[in-house]
Amino acid sequence: MAQQANVGELLSMLDSPMLGVRDDVTAVFKENLNSDRGPMLVNTLVDYYLDTNSQPVLHILTTLQEPHDKHLLDKINEYVGKATTRLSILSLLGHVIRLQPSWKHKLSQAPLLPSLLKCLKMDTDVVVLTTGVLVLITMLPMIPQSGKQHLLDFFDIFGRLSSWCLKKPGHVAEVYLVHLHASVYALFHRLYGMYPCNFVSFLRSHYSMKENLETFEEVVKPMMEHVRIHPELVTGSKDHELDPRRWKRLETHDVVIECAKISLDPTEASYEDGYSVSHQISARFPHRSTDVTASPYVDTQNSYGNATSTPYSTRLTLLNMPGQLPQSLSSPSTRLISEPPQATVWSPSMVCGMTTPPTSPGNVPPDLSHPYSKVFGTTGGKGTPLGTPATSPPPAPLCHSDDYVHNSLPQATVTPPRKEERTDSARPCLHRQHHLANDRGLEELSGSKGAVTLSDLPGFLGDLASEEDSIEKDKEEAAISKELSEITTAEAEPMVPRGGFDSPFYRDSLPGSQRKTHSAASSAQGACVNPEPLHSSLDKLGPDTPKQAFTPIDLPCGGADESPAGDRERQTSLETSILTPSPCKIPPQRAVGFGSGQLPPYDHLFEVALPKTAHHFISKKTEELLRKAKGNAEEDFMPSTSPLEVLDRLIQQGADAHSKELNKLSLPSKSVDWTHFGGSPPSDEIRTLRDQLLLLHNQLLYERFKRQQHALRNRRLLRKVIKAAALEEHNAAMKDQLKLQEKDIQIWKVSLQKEQARYSQLQEQRDTVVTQLHSQIRQLQHDREEFYNQSQELQTKLEDCRNMIAELRIELKKANNKVCHTELLLSQVSQKLSNSESVQQQMEFLNRQLLVLGEVNELYLEQLQNKHSDTTKEVEMMKAAYRKELEKNRNHVLQQNQRLDTSQKRILELESHLAKKDHLLLEQKKYLEDVKLQARGQLQAAESRYEAQKRITQVFELEILDLYGRLEKDGLLKKLEEEKTEAAEAAEERLDCCNDGCSDSMVGHNEGASGHNGETKTPRPGSTRGSSGSRGGGGSSSSSSELSTPEKPPSQRAGPFSSRWEMTMGEPSTSIPTTVGSLPSSKSFLGMKARELFRNKSESQCDEDGVTISSLSDSLKTELGKDSGVEAKTPLNLDGPHPSPPNPDSVGQLRIMDYNETHHEHS
Amino acid sequence: MTEDSQRNFRSVYYEKVGFRGVEEKKSLEILLKDDCLDIEKLCTFSQRFPLPSMYRALVWKVLLGILPPHHESHAQVMKYRKEQYSDVLHALKVIRFVSEATTQVEVYLRMYQLESGKLPRSPSFPLEPEDEVFLAISKAMEEMVEDSVDCYWIIRCFVNQLNNKYRDSLPQLPKAFEQYLNLEDSRLLTHLKTCSAVSKLPYDLWFKRCFAGCLPESSLQRVWDKVVSGSCKILVFVAVEILLTFKIKVMALNSAEKITKFLENIPQDSSDAIVSKAIDLWHKHCGTPVHSA
Repeated sequence: MAQQANVGELLSMLDSPMLGVRDDVTAVFKENLNSDRGPMLVNTLVDYYLDTNSQPVLHILTTLQEPHDKHLLDKINEYVGKATTRLSILSLLGHVIRLQPSWKHKLSQAPLLPSLLKCLKMDTDVVVLTTGVLVLITMLPMIPQSGKQHLLDFFDIFGRLSSWCLKKPGHVAEVYLVHLHASVYALFHRLYGMYPCNFVSFLRSHYSMKENLETFEEVVKPMMEHVRIHPELVTGSKDHELDPRRWKRLETHDVVIECAKISLDPTEASYEDGYSVSHQISARFPHRSTDVTASPYVDTQNSYGNATSTPYSTRLTLLNMPGQLPQSLSSPSTRLISEPPQATVWSPSMVCGMTTPPTSPGNVPPDLSHPYSKVFGTTGGKGTPLGTPATSPPPAPLCHSDDYVHNSLPQATVTPPRKEERTDSARPCLHRQHHLANDRGLEELSGSKGAVTLSDLPGFLGDLASEEDSIEKDKEEAAISKELSEITTAEAEPMVPRGGFDSPFYRDSLPGSQRKTHSAASSAQGACVNPEPLHSSLDKLGPDTPKQAFTPIDLPCGGADESPAGDRERQTSLETSILTPSPCKIPPQRAVGFGSGQLPPYDHLFEVALPKTAHHFISKKTEELLRKAKGNAEEDFMPSTSPLEVLDRLIQQGADAHSKELNKLSLPSKSVDWTHFGGSPPSDEIRTLRDQLLLLHNQLLYERFKRQQHALRNRRLLRKVIKAAALEEHNAAMKDQLKLQEKDIQIWKVSLQKEQARYSQLQEQRDTVVTQLHSQIRQLQHDREEFYNQSQELQTKLEDCRNMIAELRIELKKANNKVCHTELLLSQVSQKLSNSESVQQQMEFLNRQLLVLGEVNELYLEQLQNKHSDTTKEVEMMKAAYRKELEKNRNHVLQQNQRLDTSQKRILELESHLAKKDHLLLEQKKYLEDVKLQARGQLQAAESRYEAQKRITQVFELEILDLYGRLEKDGLLKKLEEEKTEAAEAAEERLDCCNDGCSDSMVGHNEGASGHNGETKTPRPGSTRGSSGSRGGGGSSSSSSELSTPEKPPSQRAGPFSSRWEMTMGEPSTSIPTTVGSLPSSKSFLGMKARELFRNKSESQCDEDGVTISSLSDSLKTELGKDSGVEAKTPLNLDGPHPSPPNPDSVGQLRIMDYNETHHEHS
Repeated sequence: MTEDSQRNFRSVYYEKVGFRGVEEKKSLEILLKDDCLDIEKLCTFSQRFPLPSMYRALVWKVLLGILPPHHESHAQVMKYRKEQYSDVLHALKVIRFVSEATTQVEVYLRMYQLESGKLPRSPSFPLEPEDEVFLAISKAMEEMVEDSVDCYWIIRCFVNQLNNKYRDSLPQLPKAFEQYLNLEDSRLLTHLKTCSAVSKLPYDLWFKRCFAGCLPESSLQRVWDKVVSGSCKILVFVAVEILLTFKIKVMALNSAEKITKFLENIPQDSSDAIVSKAIDLWHKHCGTPVHSA
């Protein structure tokens, strides 16, 4: 709550007179709005606004940002439902919407729209309706796609309101109806512009009903006269119109312009893109209109061509005879001709092109005639209108005549469009005239204006009529001023872009303006007059004018002649502000915010000043208008006046009356009267006035919205122009470049030609050189061929020579061969010769020998013959002896051979025997080894046994000694002696037993061995005794004494040995010496045995050798004996068989041999 | 040729397929059939192949020199041996070193002592360490050889061989053991070294007693085949193989005492495999012995 209170405080502070405070508070609110998302603040603001109409609050509300729009719309929706707040909330809505907030697209979805529509359908208050309709019209282009849902609602509203215009239900004032009518008219335009198919079908269905027919005739039909046929009616369809895609491409201002395009109403229509031209042309050339409308752009381009083709002629005509302008000039094409003379006629804006609404230039040319005519007319009567028809296009005169007719007789056959057109066409001239008048008025008279107007319309009106006329005039003036403003703005506007524009433009326009004055001065008076006021007006307007160039009513207000009224008005407004706060607030705002808000306050003031007259006038006027419209509709089928026109006129009338009254009355005093003396005007009046004011305000705001849309549009177009200009500039630059390049190309071409010439020259030179060279070559070739031929000839010769040489060589070879052969033959022959010579010599020698031998032979023959008879007996004897001897020898040889054979056989036998023996010997050896090994093994075993025995005995001895020791320890000496002997005996006995056991085995063994020997030894007594005796002695010594006794004598040595053994054993001494003594004996025994064995081996070997040798020698001996026996026959044979038996050595050998033999036998 | 024909013609393939011992008996029989036994061949044979148990005693006796190579003298020599045995036994009985109650093993010991001249003055004297070795060996041998005379002689010669022939090589065996263990499994050796158990391993048990009491006799006799035939290196490989077989357990043990204790009482069930592997290992490292002649 505290916050709320705070808000309240702040709100109150918003209206504080201190600007600073206000700004601060506004900032605070905005901050709050930014931070707070709740609806409370917005609601409070709306409430406050509704209470106080506070401007800062309005400002805040209109600039609300996104999140708050919903709250605002909700709040508005809420208040729209309430009848009391409806009006003000609608005006608030209007304010909000006109600023086109960023969330405007949300309007279509907001619940506000249906409720607004509902309100429009239900409400009966005209003011509310008008305001609502205007809001709706403003809103429609923003939400075109919403038409789909609400289209029928729109149409219903239109139907209702249009019928209202006629039926005037209830207590609705006429004055209001004018406003309502204007708004319905605007709605009509909007709906027709946006949804033509649907709208037409609606109209068709709605007004086909009888009860609506009247409305159609009275209200709708006149409206339809102000629209062209919509292209969409041809190309589009109902669905296509409602297609959101269609609307997506268009912005709000696009929609507005679209709607304006199809309007024929000059106040409503937009003269863009040649539409207005077509409009103008269609007005004058109905047959042409279709063409132009079909292709407005083509038209301008055509005119372009025209203009470029005949610029001078047109200019000339223009200059010389402005009135006789050809129609081609009327097209806006000429403005593009940048020639200075053209500029004299046209405004700089035309020069620069499409920046301004292009319609105005279209209007101007035909109108140009009028000023002059008017001026002339004013000065020199009606001569000019007569003059103009000749030069101007056919409709123009008509129009003018109509103008005048209309002027003279307003209620006559003059149709509103004609009049409209008239005013349209007349406006510039009037304006100029006006300005002229103004200028003059300023210079000369103050009340000249009235005179002018009066002079224009002399004596046609009565009291009211005069009034009305003046009002009408004023209205006209307003319209004119509007139009003029368009022109002037069009003229003034280039001032803005000039700075920004490129130099050519600037250059063009400036001289244009300068020349304009010159040419104007030189050519015609009117022309001379025309620019001057323009300039003056421009001067007066000051720096603000360019910016506000688009405000249509801005010039009049700024105009010199109205300035005093303006001043006064401002005063009154101030005064009224004291009186009534609510309406007064708007005028000052207007006055402050826009320089244009002069007319409505004017009107308002007028009405304030003269309420009755105004009321009366309006009612009358409307009646008249209605009548007129009716009449028009019924009689002429001519288009009725536009509702806007009517409204304009109403306002102008009010203003005019007011100004008139002002002249008479001193307003301040009056106001003072009212305020001071409580003479408050009738409340009813005040209310109506207020409402009217409100309506007017609404209207104004709507118009302003439209203006803004136009401004947007214009800005865009301007940008396009700038781009186009830039492109043109670029083109020009490109052209320059092109030219430069062409020049370059030229230069290059020339140089190319030069180069080509030089090249051809060089080529020629080269050709000549080449030909020379060719000829040289040819010559050289010729030479070469000659030489070649020569060389070939020489070569053939050479070949021939070579062949000859080869042949000669072959011949030489052959000759050589022959020589060699002959030489060989020669040598052979010589050899043969030498041979034959030597043979000859030999022959000679042989012959000689032969001769010698023959002589010798002869000699021998002689000797032989002498000795032959004595030798025969001796020879015979010798032969016999020889034979005997031969036989003897032969026998001997035989004998020898036999002997040899036998001996050889014998040798073979012996050899085989020998081999056998060797083998045997080897085997014997092996066996011996085996046996030795065997014996050794046994011996080892025995030895180990012996060792064991020894150990045993040692142990025993130890034991015994131990026992002895014990016994001695016992210390019984006596007993000891006795027992000693016994023990010794026992020990002896035991020892004996032991020795017996041992010797038994030993004896057995020895006996076995001796048995072997014994068999062979026994037959040989003496000799064997020596060797075996020792053995036998050994054996006997170890064996029992009885056995050994008979053989004791030969073995004396062994005897004492054994006896000693017995003695030692017998002695009762310690046993150690005995053992020591016995050891060598046993060793010697074994050693002997081993030695014997070894000796046997070696001996037997030796013996065997001996035997073999001896036997060999024996056999050899026998053989030899045999041989010798054979040789010597008997003696030799006897010796052979008895050589060996008596050998004394052989006994020992035999023994050995026997031993060997026995072994043989064994094995 | 006749000998070859007597042999099974499949014998060549048996060895290829992996059967062992099928032909060994036969070849051994052929060897033993000779009039004079070739000791060298017998040695090689027993080193290469396991001896059939029926000929083991004979072969051992021959190899140990108890019997001469000649068949002829076997009976006589054996008679001598028997007599010697009975004599010694009698002597011991006489001096009352041995009574009826004395165990056969102790009898062997006393006999050996007597024969080597080391018989103590009294049977109650404490035993020397070498006597303990003898006892262990004789205990094992008693299981292997039935006849007490044979048994005594084999023990006696076996111990003599250890004391004489292997006197120099036995102390080298621990070093060889370390070396081969390093080749086979260096990690194990490092583990043993870190536990400082290398020096405390039961070398006495392994090398002096030749695993007597460590391995069961059935496996042990295969080891002793090699020892008898002249190779004491087999002992090293048996020891290595024991460690390899019980590697995981040994690795798990950390103190030298525990390892030694464990190794002194290894489980008996895998001994056969250990011995087989050890012989393989021995063949691998020392090469298969081939008869040089």
